[in-house]
Amino acid sequence: MPDHSSRTRSTALRLDWLTVALILGGVLLVYYLAPMVSLFLSVPMGEVVSRMGEPSVVNAASTSMLSASITTVLATVFGLPLAYWLARAETAMTNVVLAIVVLPLILPPTVGGVVLLTVFGPTAVVGGAAVAAGVPLTRSLPGVVLAQTFVASPFVVVTAKAAFEAVDPTLEYASRSLGKGRWTTARRVTLPLAGPGVLAGMTLVFARAMGEFGATMMMAYYPRTMPVQIWVSFISLGLDNAYPVAILLVVIAVVALAVLNTIASNPWK
Amino acid sequence: MEVTLELSRLRTSYGPFDFGPVDLTVDDEVLAVLGPSGSGKTTLLSLIAGITSPDSGTIRLGGRELAGVPLEDRNVGMVFQEGALFPHMTARENVAYAATTSGRVDELAALLELTDVLDRKPPTLSGGERQRVALARTLATDPDVLLLDEPLSSLDAPIRKRLRDELHGLFESLDIPVLCVTHDQRTAMALGDRIAIVRDGNLEQIGSPSTVLTRPTSRFVARFTGTENLLEGTVTDRTADGARVRFGDVQLQTTASAVSQSAVTACIHPARVELETSHVADGDRAANVVTGTVARWLNEGSEYRIDIAVEAGPFTLTATVRPPTFERLGLADGTEIRVLIPPESIHLIPTVEQSA
Repeated sequence: MPDHSSRTRSTALRLDWLTVALILGGVLLVYYLAPMVSLFLSVPMGEVVSRMGEPSVVNAASTSMLSASITTVLATVFGLPLAYWLARAETAMTNVVLAIVVLPLILPPTVGGVVLLTVFGPTAVVGGAAVAAGVPLTRSLPGVVLAQTFVASPFVVVTAKAAFEAVDPTLEYASRSLGKGRWTTARRVTLPLAGPGVLAGMTLVFARAMGEFGATMMMAYYPRTMPVQIWVSFISLGLDNAYPVAILLVVIAVVALAVLNTIASNPWK
Repeated sequence: MEVTLELSRLRTSYGPFDFGPVDLTVDDEVLAVLGPSGSGKTTLLSLIAGITSPDSGTIRLGGRELAGVPLEDRNVGMVFQEGALFPHMTARENVAYAATTSGRVDELAALLELTDVLDRKPPTLSGGERQRVALARTLATDPDVLLLDEPLSSLDAPIRKRLRDELHGLFESLDIPVLCVTHDQRTAMALGDRIAIVRDGNLEQIGSPSTVLTRPTSRFVARFTGTENLLEGTVTDRTADGARVRFGDVQLQTTASAVSQSAVTACIHPARVELETSHVADGDRAANVVTGTVARWLNEGSEYRIDIAVEAGPFTLTATVRPPTFERLGLADGTEIRVLIPPESIHLIPTVEQSA
C-alpha cells in the first residue's frame, strides 16, 4: 500500500466502502437473527423439551418426517431424469420445460393447493377414483406428499440440472467409448461427479417439504404436519403453544444448512 | 488378424460446416491426420467413434458396419484431447474402469511407465502422465482401432518430444489401425506411416510423409507442410530432363515431366535451397543458380531462416540453413549471395484458382 502521509488522516476518518455496505446490510442480518434468538429465549427450555413428548407434537413431527422423506425420494426419482434431460438436450424446448418446472416455485402455495384440488379433490375425477379405491388423496398422508412434491420438487430439478451441466459431456463419451453403456456411465461417472449438487437439491427439497404449509393446508389439514400443527396451536391455544414445534423446525432448518455447507455443494455459494 | 478401417462417402454437417464426402482406408498403420483447427479433423474421429452421426456414407471396421451402432458397442478406442480422465477416480481406477482384469492394469502401467502414479488422481498428474493414463485406459479395452485427438498439443516441448518417441514405439507394437489427429506437422511426420491432410472437411492429400512434404498436390498442402517458396511461373520448354519454367526474368530447370499446363506453381522447400557466397562457386554444378541479397534473417534456434531478394526476379526466396552454414557464410542483412536450387527440389503443381 502506498504511503501518502498527507492522506492518512482522511483515510482513517473515511469509512471503508465495504464496511459501509456491511453496516447497512447488517440491519437485515440483525432482523434475521434477533427473532430466532428471541424464540429460544422466550420459553424455558426445560418446559419446551417436556412438551416435545406430547402426542400432538410427536404425531406432527413423525408425519412431517415421513412425508418429507417420501417427497424427497419421489422428487429425486422423477427429478433427476428431468434434470439430466434439461442439462443435455439441445433444443429450444428446454426453456419451456424449465419454465414449467420453475412455475410451482413462484406460484403462491395456496394457489398450488387449489390447482391440486381440482385434480385430486374428492369430487374431481382422479381424486374421486382414488377415494373409490380406498386411497383418498386429500386429508391423508398421500395428500400431504402430493402437496409437498408439487411445491418442493422443483428444487432438486433446478439444482441437479446445474450439477449435470457442470459434468463435461466428453467424460460421458469417454466412458461409453470404453464399452460402458449409458446406465453404467450415469451410475459411475455422471452421478458421482454431479453428486454434491444432487445432494444439495435433495436437501433443499426436504427442507422445503418440512416447511410446506399453504398447499398442505388445502390438501390435507389432517394428518397434521408440523407447520399445520403450529398454526392450530397458535389459533386455538395461543403463541406459547406453537413454540415447541417451531423450535424443532428451526433446528431442522439449521441441520439442512449444515448439510448444504459440508457434504453437499451449496448452490447459492 | 488384420483389421481394416474403411470409410466410404462419409458425410455429415452441422450448422454451416460440411464434412465430406470422405473416402479413406486405414490398414494396420498409423495415419496422421493433419490440418488447421476447424478443418474437420476431430469430426472425422467423432464420426468413427460414434459421437457424431453421419448424414450418409459407411464406416466399416474389419468388415463390420459401424454407422448407427452406439459408441459403447463399437470397440473403437478414443484418446480424447486432454485425456478426459474421470476426475473422481485415481489413475488406477481410471484404467481399471476399462480393463477386464487387474493384471491388465499393471501390465499397461508398466508399458506406459505409470506404476508410480497409479494412486494419484488426475488433477495431480502432469500433462504427459495424464495422456499416458488416458492411453492406458483406452488400450485396456483392446480396441479394434485407436483414435487419438491431439495427444501432444497440451504438452510442453521437451515432454512432447519424449512422448512422441514413446508413442512411435508403442504404435509400432500395435497391430490395429491408428488415427492420430494433430495440427503439428512435426508430430504428423514423426508418427505417421501416412499423412492425410484435411482442409474444410475434405481430404486434400494423403500419402507417405515424404510424398506429402516433397510432392504436395496443392498450394494449401505445400504451405501447411512448410513449403514457403511458392512461385507462379510459366513453362517455357519441355525437355527429356524436365520442364523449364520462367519466373519473371529467371529461368529454372526442373526434373518435372508430364507437365501439361503452362501455368504452374513451383514449390521449393526452404530446407532444399542451398546458399554459397558470391565469390566461391563450388556448389552443385547441375543446380539452378540465381543471385540475390539477404533481405532478412531470423534465428529459430536449430536453424536460421533467411529471406533472399532475388536479383533478377520480382520475388523472394526463403532458405533455412544450419547454424554452422550461417556462420561460415558470414550472412547479414544485405549480403550478396548465390542461391542454388537443385532441379529435383522443384516440385510443380498446376496453377489453378485455389487460394491457400
